[in-house]
Amino acid sequence: MIERLLRKLAARDDISPEEEATLTDLITDVEDVPARKTVIRKGERLNRSILLLDGLMCRYKDLRNGRRQITALHVPGDFLDLHGFTLKQLDHDVMSLAPSRVAYASHEKLTRLTETHPHLTRMLWFSTNLDAAMHREWELTLGQRNGSARAAHLLCELRERLDIVGMLSGNDFDLPINQTEMGECIGLTVVHTNRVLRELREEGAATFAKGRVIIQDLEKLKSWAEFDPSYLYLGREPC
Amino acid sequence: MPRFYFDIFNGNGRTPDEEGLELESHAAARRIALDSVRSIIAEEARDGVIDLGGRIEVKDNAANVLMTVDFVEAFELRMPVASGNRE
Repeated sequence: MIERLLRKLAARDDISPEEEATLTDLITDVEDVPARKTVIRKGERLNRSILLLDGLMCRYKDLRNGRRQITALHVPGDFLDLHGFTLKQLDHDVMSLAPSRVAYASHEKLTRLTETHPHLTRMLWFSTNLDAAMHREWELTLGQRNGSARAAHLLCELRERLDIVGMLSGNDFDLPINQTEMGECIGLTVVHTNRVLRELREEGAATFAKGRVIIQDLEKLKSWAEFDPSYLYLGREPC
Repeated sequence: MPRFYFDIFNGNGRTPDEEGLELESHAAARRIALDSVRSIIAEEARDGVIDLGGRIEVKDNAANVLMTVDFVEAFELRMPVASGNRE
């Protein structure tokens, strides 16, 4: 059930069988979530954190005028709100983009884990640090990259993250969102998003249509995006 | 809700919208079109070019053009007064 979380962690450092058992025991109550359902509201009191097992979910914030910024996308193996363990409430909402499957880690069990498993605790700390690193890269994207580079960068990032959890086929992958939602990730209107995607397609770099990303020329896409994967900390390093 | 398609015609040629967007009304579609023109021109302006020669054609499911939004409609243009006329 938690294979993708294990893959994500084990790609960075060794997880012992005992630690694996502890994580398995931590995660309970599997639940299916339909597409486009908000599962956590900003300010709601939290006593558990959510692990995404399958599907696609996001963190987002809205303005009063209806404009939405998706601040992070989550792929299977990601915690949606591990930061909620120490924050006790979130400053953003969390929703499913595609039909998803989640499971829960009670904060009570997490507290116990931090007291008994220092290495696992550091691994979970790593994963929230990784979330923060991705937020910084998204800031760079939203603040400085042009439209087509924003889309290209998002595709490069998702390709790496899905590769870690074994969800690529070749270089291609499912991305079950529409252009409005992609626009909400990269700070562009839906029509503008359509235009930058056309640019990537015509350059022969990548296509995104009907929930599927086909990468035609990965090197071109990376260079277009100025994609440097070091912020994803893909290497193995004792934690 | 009806589905609207926003095809862009500008210096880069035609960018057809194959996905479309469900919206309540023509007025909502027009707002989206105007918002999108502003977003596209704002990005081009960062590169030093403002080309208001384009348009967005909003179409229905049957590819009928429901409205055309010229890029210039999205802006109130204020140009500097020629220097010779200044006080």
